[in-house]
Amino acid sequence: MTKTIVVVKKLIKIYDKKQVVKGISFNVKEGEIFGILGPNGAGKTTTLEMLETLRPIDGGSATLAGVKVSEDSQEIKALIGVQPQTPSFEEKTKLTELIEFFSAAYGEKVDAMKFLKSVQLEDKANSYPEQLSGGQRQRFSIAAALVHSPKVFFLDEPTTGLDPQARRNLWDLIREVRDRGVTVIMTTHYMDEAELLCDRVAVMDNGKIIALDTPKNLIKSLLGRGFKKEQQVQQANLEDVFIDLTGKALRD
Amino acid sequence: MNIRKNLLPITTFVKIDVKRLFRDKVAIFFVFLFPLILLVIFGSVFSGDGNVSFRVALLNESSSEFSKEFDKQIRDNEVFEVDKEISSLDAAKEKMNRGQLDATIILPAGFGDIQAGTNFPSGESKVVYGQNNQTAGTTLASILEGLFKEINTGLVPTVEPFSVTAESTATKGLTQFDYTFSGILGFTLLSLGIFGPTTVFPRLKTKGVLRRYHTTTLKVWQYFTGNVISNGIIGLLACGLMFASAVLFFDLNMRGNFFNLAVIVVFGTILLFGIGLALGGWAKNENQAAPMAQLVTLPMLFLSGIFFPTFLMPELLQNITKFIPLTPIIDSIRLVITENASLIDLGPQLGIMAAWTVIIYLIAFRVFRWE
Repeated sequence: MTKTIVVVKKLIKIYDKKQVVKGISFNVKEGEIFGILGPNGAGKTTTLEMLETLRPIDGGSATLAGVKVSEDSQEIKALIGVQPQTPSFEEKTKLTELIEFFSAAYGEKVDAMKFLKSVQLEDKANSYPEQLSGGQRQRFSIAAALVHSPKVFFLDEPTTGLDPQARRNLWDLIREVRDRGVTVIMTTHYMDEAELLCDRVAVMDNGKIIALDTPKNLIKSLLGRGFKKEQQVQQANLEDVFIDLTGKALRD
Repeated sequence: MNIRKNLLPITTFVKIDVKRLFRDKVAIFFVFLFPLILLVIFGSVFSGDGNVSFRVALLNESSSEFSKEFDKQIRDNEVFEVDKEISSLDAAKEKMNRGQLDATIILPAGFGDIQAGTNFPSGESKVVYGQNNQTAGTTLASILEGLFKEINTGLVPTVEPFSVTAESTATKGLTQFDYTFSGILGFTLLSLGIFGPTTVFPRLKTKGVLRRYHTTTLKVWQYFTGNVISNGIIGLLACGLMFASAVLFFDLNMRGNFFNLAVIVVFGTILLFGIGLALGGWAKNENQAAPMAQLVTLPMLFLSGIFFPTFLMPELLQNITKFIPLTPIIDSIRLVITENASLIDLGPQLGIMAAWTVIIYLIAFRVFRWE
């Protein structure tokens, strides 16, 4: 049995006297990719931000690697890596310098090139972030978030706006991170992404978790309730055609 | 956490931040070039190159032949533009105060008379000028002196019966440019300290850069200190460049100690940057920051004596002026440059600056937000 690393109990967030996160509870196991799915405004990002100590918790509790999130934000921050929805960095700053600064922020000195290599950006070491493509910037952002070897890695809609090649590349990267023993918690709008990538998913709507299981089990239980798609499932879809035509190689 | 670990974010930030400035053409322009342009403009206006003409009033109170002749010479001279309407010193003074006249030349009664016991005419003329027209006044006096010398040598080769005295209440030797330079330096520190952070921080916030820093263990005091140090360095570089240009091209008289000047510049940068940090750190976006920056900067510019001396202001304003953060900075720069003031002499100014620094940084810490 794997260890539980994140425990969330009856978590509540209130904005303008309205509950936007309505007492949700879930556990995340060490070393899994945990997905939080849901339409816009479901409370996914707010939930992540509370766990990241960026928003105060208005009710309930959350612990991460045994540390209470609401009590020691500095210790929590040292344990987590955060990939925001739209990663953005100071301009006119070399990627190596940014990596150096991020590690310095945790009081550490690292070999910047090692981290750039891990996301295939060693050629861009002397580039500025504004010169990177969307996919490259996402990759760089992941490298920057992992400079201090965090235990838990939060990603907020990491593949929004990326082309199919860059998305696949990012999935591989997220799996690699998981394989290094880092627990991944991510939000997404894309069901194909969640199905392929996540070990378990929580489906949120209106500030509540309405389902939580492995993607396979969720599908199975839906089929078990007699669900049938109107159309026969095709052996391939347009995305398969696109990848077949243009290849899997990264374009940026 | 140990000390080294706590200082690492600061040193790393300073190193990167200073490099970043030199990669940004817009920043280079505003930090280094723009103040130099100001310097050139003010420098050429106030140092004068001889091709100027002076608007003067001529009050001839003497009835001697010589004075009539001299009166005519001045009126014919291209350097002088004589205001013909003025017939009394009071009228002249009023016009000088309004800046419509540079100076008044007075040929007192008896000027040019032949004194008892001599066989040549003699006398003393007077040049009266306003406080804000010192250069004009002194230049005019020396032009007249030249004129007199010519006449003198024609009359009596050995003695100089005619002379001119310039009357001014200002500190001896304080030229208009020396005065203006400390103002331009102060203006540079002000724009560096306030306009810099009030544009940069809100932009970093709207882009989410600061928010990203907030997800790390970076602390506000570390981020502040890093910013303060890098701005101190940049301020010192910008002022050093201006100072060198002023000495090389505009004959700035530096009487004081360079170390003292550097101390004031760095201290002033830190103080003014604190204001920018408080505004930029508080503002959520550019729209909030820009009007606030103007609101703080404009009164400081006008009240601190940057572009015109505070003693021209009403007494009530003068008293307020002394306590505005920018005033002690400019005053100390001026006192170091023109009077070789020591840091001990500058005690009152440094005291006001220290008090402001404490207040401003307390506020800045209070109101700072990462997003």
